[in-house]
Amino acid sequence: MTYMTYRPARAGIGPIGVTALVAAIFVLLFLAGIGFGSTWIPLEHVAHVLFGGGDKTERLVVLQLRLPRVAAAAIAGGAIAFAGYLLQRITRNELASPGVLGVVDGAALGVVLFMAIFSNETNSLIVSVAWQPLAAALGAISAIGLVFLLSGQQASTAIRLLLFGIAVAAVCKALTTIFMLVGPIYQASQAARWLAGAVNTINVTEIQLMLLVLVPTGIVAAIAARHLPPADLDDTSSRSIGLNLPAYRILIFFLAALLTAGAVAFAGGVSFIGLLAPHMARLLVGRARAAGIAVSILLGAIILIGADLLIRVAFAPTEVPAGTVTALIGAPYFLYLLMRKDKNNG
Amino acid sequence: MDDLAANRIEVKGLTMAYGGDVVLDALNLPIPAGRITVLAGPNGCGKSTLLRAIRRLHAPQSGQILLDAEDITRLGSKALGRRIGLLPQSPSAPLDMNVEELVRLGRYPHQAMLQPWSPQDDEAVSRAMAGTGVEALRRRRIGSLSGGQLQRAWIAMVLAQDTDVICLDEPVNHLDMAHQLDCLELVARLNRDEGKTIVLVLHDLNLAARYADNLVFVASGRIREAGNPELLMRADLIAEVFNTDAHIITDPIHGRPMCIPFRKG
Repeated sequence: MTYMTYRPARAGIGPIGVTALVAAIFVLLFLAGIGFGSTWIPLEHVAHVLFGGGDKTERLVVLQLRLPRVAAAAIAGGAIAFAGYLLQRITRNELASPGVLGVVDGAALGVVLFMAIFSNETNSLIVSVAWQPLAAALGAISAIGLVFLLSGQQASTAIRLLLFGIAVAAVCKALTTIFMLVGPIYQASQAARWLAGAVNTINVTEIQLMLLVLVPTGIVAAIAARHLPPADLDDTSSRSIGLNLPAYRILIFFLAALLTAGAVAFAGGVSFIGLLAPHMARLLVGRARAAGIAVSILLGAIILIGADLLIRVAFAPTEVPAGTVTALIGAPYFLYLLMRKDKNNG
Repeated sequence: MDDLAANRIEVKGLTMAYGGDVVLDALNLPIPAGRITVLAGPNGCGKSTLLRAIRRLHAPQSGQILLDAEDITRLGSKALGRRIGLLPQSPSAPLDMNVEELVRLGRYPHQAMLQPWSPQDDEAVSRAMAGTGVEALRRRRIGSLSGGQLQRAWIAMVLAQDTDVICLDEPVNHLDMAHQLDCLELVARLNRDEGKTIVLVLHDLNLAARYADNLVFVASGRIREAGNPELLMRADLIAEVFNTDAHIITDPIHGRPMCIPFRKG
């Protein structure tokens, strides 16, 4: 029966124990992600370098070549997972995620438009790449804003929100394709790879930009998340106990869009992480809020680092976009959730 | 009824409309403090809308609602949440939430941004659970409760909110007879022991007449008549408001008026 579904799986060690366990897995995978490459660097060496030690060659390989890629995967995966957590809680719907609600495709459209408008014949941007996250954010916020406006009064009812989200995502995706085909983009192939989600081309400057956007947004979101518990109730009840739900819902949508945009702007369209990670976190830690957020973020990071690692192990030297792997895992999971009959609110 | 000063809430010239349809039409209604007011009327008469307007869940087209002589639009969300509670017709919470978690949510309007959970909060939660008899259920999941238990858990949540005014929208709708009585007895006791001002929407006219201090007949978006149930439970008035013939008798146990509806020929 339904209410059994979310009993925390590891009641024995509690939410804090589970969080610690997931954090440990994250650290190991993070180090492994850096260690793995054309030459294997043992994990203790990687850790040594990260804490300031190691010889010159190892430092170059770890810090310049491999760390950016793994760090970008961790940051982007974590941010999208956090966005997914917020969206699933505020819509009271486990099927909600940045991808399903059109946020990912909206951000992608923003970036492609940005590339189309601001690049010249020599294939380079005529403005700083620092504007790219802003373009992604504008796209993401427009998309989720549109979904929200279209669903109107029933914004919290699952089906309407999802249907409009899927429709808006499809429109954004179509527009993105059109702009890539007919627009003056000389980076079409690059854009295509980026759209599928790829962290392999990222550099240190871009990581700094990601952090600049995502860290403050994440902190604000963590503070705003304190008001999520009353929003667990139906609209009338949550408003009756004094939550300004319409305003709060817009705030959470906005923050989720920003988190997604910050990640997608550089890591590309890594799909389904925002759906998978928070859902798995809920299975692991139940309704506990702080642990739920922490485990969602860690799982998001783990999934994207893992997907990227898998690509490097299975497909090297071909660079398959990480987003294709997350989609391959995520799509069946989404179908599984869709086909389950039970509901989670009563 | 006492004088005007004893009105906790005054609805003045309230007009509500959805789209182009006027649901409430320049409606006036005083709600006496410390009494049980029951709104009754046929389907679609606007009684639920009136209740929701009193809790500021819908913005009126015109008119105002005064709470202790103060316009409710001047109060912040949380401030209003400390003064008027409302239990909707079909409330819902995550099925894996437990009863205590639900009841604790009632303390939300009392908590400031950085202020931690206080002993007063604990006390209010314990009192609410004791008052509704759900202490033994505190670790039970919402999804595992029976209808009657669930309703008590929700009432405990509203009670923990510790508001002077409690609004309940058809609280006995999905309950069997025994649980209907339990629920309304609970509400009556809150009114009697804690002096809460209660506003109820009830479909069952006989239950309304039994529990109301102040019965309000709503018809076509207006107040048809309000006052002591003895005065309102008249065959002619019921025929007009509810569109059915009725025979009025006196309830042999409570001495309250009762109606037996029938159709002629």
